[in-house]
Amino acid sequence: MTASPILTLSDLEKTFTTGFLGALPGFRRLPWQVRGIVQTVHAVRGISLTVEPGETFGFLGPNGAGKTTTIKMLMGLIRPSKGSATLLGKPLNDRAARARIGYLPEQPYFYEHLKPMEFLDFYGGLFPMTVRERRDRARALLDRVGLSHALDRPIRKFSKGMVQRIGIAQALINAPELVVLDEPMSGLDPLGRKEIRDLIFELKHQGRTVFFSSHILQDVEQICDRVAILVRGEVKRTGPINTLLEDGDGGVEVLVAGLPAETAARLGSGVSLREGHRYVVASVEVDAFLRAALEVGGSIRSVTPQRRSLEAIFVEEAQRA
Amino acid sequence: MRQILVIALNTFREAIRNRIFASLVLFAVGMLAVTMAISAASLHEEVRLMKDVGLFLVSTFSAVLCIFVGASLVYKEIERKTIYTILPKPIHRWQFLVGKYLGVLSVMAVQTSVMSLALAAQFWLLEADFGLVMLQAVWLIFVEVVVVAALALLFSSFSTPFLSGMLTFGVFVIGRFADRLATLTLKAAPDQSQEALDRAAAFAHGVAWVAPDLSLYNVTSYAVYDTHLPEGFVLHATLAGGLYAVICLVVASILFSRRDFM
Repeated sequence: MTASPILTLSDLEKTFTTGFLGALPGFRRLPWQVRGIVQTVHAVRGISLTVEPGETFGFLGPNGAGKTTTIKMLMGLIRPSKGSATLLGKPLNDRAARARIGYLPEQPYFYEHLKPMEFLDFYGGLFPMTVRERRDRARALLDRVGLSHALDRPIRKFSKGMVQRIGIAQALINAPELVVLDEPMSGLDPLGRKEIRDLIFELKHQGRTVFFSSHILQDVEQICDRVAILVRGEVKRTGPINTLLEDGDGGVEVLVAGLPAETAARLGSGVSLREGHRYVVASVEVDAFLRAALEVGGSIRSVTPQRRSLEAIFVEEAQRA
Repeated sequence: MRQILVIALNTFREAIRNRIFASLVLFAVGMLAVTMAISAASLHEEVRLMKDVGLFLVSTFSAVLCIFVGASLVYKEIERKTIYTILPKPIHRWQFLVGKYLGVLSVMAVQTSVMSLALAAQFWLLEADFGLVMLQAVWLIFVEVVVVAALALLFSSFSTPFLSGMLTFGVFVIGRFADRLATLTLKAAPDQSQEALDRAAAFAHGVAWVAPDLSLYNVTSYAVYDTHLPEGFVLHATLAGGLYAVICLVVASILFSRRDFM
């Protein structure tokens, strides 16, 4: 494993010129914009972040935030307009580094005429692997992703979940150190999502670095060590998931028994939620609330600091933008 | 090299498993059977007619099928997003293009061979000699395919299948008449301006200079009249076709290397 960051992005930018005249080089830097004729779109605006070896890193953001564009830049499918990035300490176009990464694009499509073994043998053939190595690995991966029963079926007859699973198998055919997954759970049913989640956990336990984009926050909370929240092409928050969730005032949940309804209504100004015996109180007001509750004869059953949900942070950032 | 062959093999396998391709080859072979019927109707000219019509059919079907397969070659990969899983692998973009190109050539080699064997079988039925010139003619048809496939790949690397198909077809037609365009002279009528016609002729010469000279690959008249081709002709035509294809591939690779795949 590499000791230095496995992935670094420094001020990475991508600007597109769209519209009828946008494809012509002379029209790309015009000061004026006409919708449909020539228009500049800043898809990614100076992203900087690092991913350490062995981390599971969640790259979050609403639709159109620039997640896929960033990933495509990392994978060499799109050229950055500005900035730089390294994969395993090497420039993006370094083929030796490419041989050590695996990638699953968003909503993948594959060669439908191929059967699973042919499919994985084809992708394995693009890496410096012997025939025996890739066949052994293909068999093991098909077994792992639960497709051993479908060896005689061409991919065109696969369900969406099966396509996603074989997609993950092709991303792992070279036993990569870094696995990049673009929306791996998108469009899957709960069972399919769980299978992918388990696979990511397994990769994590094997010590591989996983960088994946998603907007299914529930999954991200369970899987990731660190996350970056991307909104309109900019990283708004980044850090360990626990720190992000504990950051800010999520309030404190207090369970108080024995309070008559009319007394409860008069308790403290910091109460944001009142549901039977359950109160959610602002952190700074909690001492005053507890004193007041005891004074009027209440019995404190529990005091629990509330963690903010990733969804709350995500929505907050999206709305702020 | 291995990566190129892996891409080529996949392209070949995909085309061979495509039912439309198989149907087109069967149809082409069926058309050759018609040749036999036509030639049977001619008096003492069966073999000549069979050579003439047979080579025309092999050449036309090869070119049409090549444009059909080649024009959508790269676009299909982008449209179906299969390219997203290929280019991030340790492979150069030019290797991908060359792999696709070799894949198409191998498909076309199968198609041209099947049609040529079907034609040779008809000669065998008529107890006629297929001959060296016929073999050379078939080889030159394949060299023409090498050029047309490279053109199709070049246009396919930056445009839609329809546009690249039309462009390839356009250059194919121009190429078939390139020898005449290169020597075109236009004489003005007494009431016309000779200057304008000279400019038109110069334009035609320019077009002929850029377009491949595909007339080199049509040696039907030699085959029909059993005349030997000039010495070194096949080698010269093969080298010219190969060079033109390489130039097309280099330009296609440069254009392709600058593309963003959204």
